[in-house]
Amino acid sequence: MQRSLILFLLLTSCLATMLACTTVFKGLTDVPGDVAAVQKFKPEFTVALYKTEVNVMGNYLSGLLLIKKMPDSSTRMLFSNEMGFKFFDFEFSGNGDFKVHYIIKQMNRKAVVKTLRKDFELILMQHPENGAAKLKASSEGLRYYIYPQSKGFNYYITDSTISNLLCMKRASKSKEIVTVIARDYKDGLPDTIGIEHHNFNFSIALKKIIR
Amino acid sequence: MRRILIFLFVSLLAVSVNAQYAGYTVVNDLAKFKAVFSQAAQRTTSITSDFIQEKNLSMLSEKIISKGKFWFKKESLVRMEYDAPFKYLMIINKDKVFIKDGQKQNTISTKSNKLFQQINKITVDCVQGNVLNNPDFKVKLFENKGNYLVELSPIPKNLKEFFKSINVIVDKKDYAVTSIDMNEQSGDNTLIRFTNKEMNATIPDTFFIIN
Repeated sequence: MQRSLILFLLLTSCLATMLACTTVFKGLTDVPGDVAAVQKFKPEFTVALYKTEVNVMGNYLSGLLLIKKMPDSSTRMLFSNEMGFKFFDFEFSGNGDFKVHYIIKQMNRKAVVKTLRKDFELILMQHPENGAAKLKASSEGLRYYIYPQSKGFNYYITDSTISNLLCMKRASKSKEIVTVIARDYKDGLPDTIGIEHHNFNFSIALKKIIR
Repeated sequence: MRRILIFLFVSLLAVSVNAQYAGYTVVNDLAKFKAVFSQAAQRTTSITSDFIQEKNLSMLSEKIISKGKFWFKKESLVRMEYDAPFKYLMIINKDKVFIKDGQKQNTISTKSNKLFQQINKITVDCVQGNVLNNPDFKVKLFENKGNYLVELSPIPKNLKEFFKSINVIVDKKDYAVTSIDMNEQSGDNTLIRFTNKEMNATIPDTFFIIN
């Protein structure tokens, strides 16, 4: 019962935040401030294990996602099912490079790899050092940290005091592509992460496992 | 002199082959082992056991430990109940696999998924003792004082992508499987060790019901 209630509250809070974050990015104005201030939300994935649920086009997949920062400062993400069968093993370098160490044949499609890469890069805040980054604000005072990508933009949206990262978004010039919500940071790591795609039925839910 | 050198070379080669698994030597009479193993398997109507699953990620220098309970009942009923790192239930009943993950339930027909069918067959065959007759694998046998090591090398291309080899350790005392080690091409492996085994206990069929 308590678990259901927690789940309900979590979903409600995520939904409420998503509604708050679903503004189309119009009417934003330039504001002065340090574009690097949002860096404080950059997750510190020394090593973390997340229970992972993936819903893709009506298919459900579950397992464990291991995220580990390597000695060369790259970040590895490895997803396997509960029985140990590996789905993928990705490497994200500090300089923005990306390498697929392993992916199962069934998932090895260019579009799938590209989507996962961009989703995780958004969470890892891989490109915020980009000099072209801008800071804007909405009429409600929300702050939009905008980082241009090769195609489209990564948005990090905080409250006016930069106390909370409300959500992260990837968007093209005309529409939103994906919304990510990270909650309950502890020791620099979010306890829960929700990834929701807007252009097709694809979502990922991550819940940190205490080891 | 030449003969001596050839003899020395062959001897060294033999030693290096035998040293493939530390402490194990090659057993050439596979047929004899198969016969005894098969007889023991026939006497086994059920197995109840605890299990510890260890996923070793060599490149990441990480281990993911899972624990739970295992039930097997002849002919091909398997129940694996994970308690850690989170609750997860898997039941294999003939050609169906039932998965319960938190509130989510899922039934997969292995008939429609050849890879799942093969992996399913490996799990059941390993504990049931039929794995030696599985035509998907080339079998090599090794032994030490207390155990046999059955090395299974996959033949079909789709299984080779997943496994370099599967090593099954069989206790010489009762010919029961004590561990299954699934080795991947990448150098990672998943080792499942069975402990606190109880053979031929009564297990109700309701344990394996798939709704």
